[in-house]
Amino acid sequence: MLGAVSWSSASAASSIELKVRPRLCTLPAGVESCETTVRAEWRAPRNESLCLVIAGRPEIKRCWENYSRGVYSVELEFSEDLLVELRDPELENVLASQAVTVIREAIRLRRKRHQPWNIFS
Amino acid sequence: MRFRPSLCVLALLGALAQPIAAQAGCRTPSADCVLVGKLHLALSMGFGERSNPIIGNDDIPLYVLPQISYYGERFFLENLEFGFTLYESDAHTFNVVAAPGYDRVFFFSDDLQNIFVSGSTLSLNEPPSTLIEGAPLPEIVEQYPLHNRNTTYLAGPEWLFRFGDFIGQLDLLREVTGEHQGYEVRAAVATPVVQSTSSLVVSAGFTWKSAKLVGYYYGIDDLYEPGAAFNPFVKLGFAHPISERWTFSAHVHHERLDDAIADSPIVGKHRVTTYFAGFVFKVL
Repeated sequence: MLGAVSWSSASAASSIELKVRPRLCTLPAGVESCETTVRAEWRAPRNESLCLVIAGRPEIKRCWENYSRGVYSVELEFSEDLLVELRDPELENVLASQAVTVIREAIRLRRKRHQPWNIFS
Repeated sequence: MRFRPSLCVLALLGALAQPIAAQAGCRTPSADCVLVGKLHLALSMGFGERSNPIIGNDDIPLYVLPQISYYGERFFLENLEFGFTLYESDAHTFNVVAAPGYDRVFFFSDDLQNIFVSGSTLSLNEPPSTLIEGAPLPEIVEQYPLHNRNTTYLAGPEWLFRFGDFIGQLDLLREVTGEHQGYEVRAAVATPVVQSTSSLVVSAGFTWKSAKLVGYYYGIDDLYEPGAAFNPFVKLGFAHPISERWTFSAHVHHERLDDAIADSPIVGKHRVTTYFAGFVFKVL
């Protein structure tokens, strides 16, 4: 189950807003990871040069030069929270970030009652 | 060594305080591990029959058998049986259970145990037979005054255990619905003979019934007062999964009735055989 959308702003100075979809991935019983398209959309009051990266996923990197907005979609499989970041072109400073949170349904299991005495058990 | 009841009580309270799931080591849903809080419903559709040892009563057909179960943190319900788990580990489970008295199935074809067959399944049986005007009365009614045999429940402790490939069950039950106050012991062991994609499981066990219980069902006032009965049985169960929701299943259960039951004037057979073969559809 996937959650809603929100905007994030790194600071009042940069005013870069980042919107990531989905915000939540709820894992039902027996499912180990989320498989979904993560869509990131950013906008800024003026042209910026920046890169979109995902923490711990060095293979994912999308950069823009002198743009005021951008959209990036990627198919991902993940089992832990995903942190989507906008960074400067040198990747040193985080300009904005948003997380996709993984929630595991609290499942509890117990032994089934096997009954050799019963006819169809 | 001195027995210290206070330590035993503390150990029991400690066990009760632990979540069942943590004790049992269940990590993923499987044939052995079920989800807590989820209702399970399945339907077996096929053909089967339960022979009826009572003179004049028809064998009991089995066509559609439901299986309903629900497991809470400690409470559980399996068709007509319910109980509470006191302690559970990989090897041992101790429950307190309540189960309906079994023998009524031979006297009333609409008994719920002929629908939820012995703890797992549902059958759409023929409606209860009624007397047709002008038709001769069944021999049993003509010969012996029969008392009511009401639905009863038995309750008591249950021990389930695993030892290698063997699974065992021991129930010590007493009638608690105020009909006869009799006792019953249900015991059995089962082990797989074949365990691949298909499974073939053989079981053997017995039911011991106290004189009061046997008398309630098979006694005749002022004519036949039976003693306690020991009924051994063997069972063979086969299952072959076809898909996630469908399984082919077949069972045969053969029980020998103790002389205390078979010698009753209303009983005409020494054995009861139940068989069923069909497809199980997992609804929930």
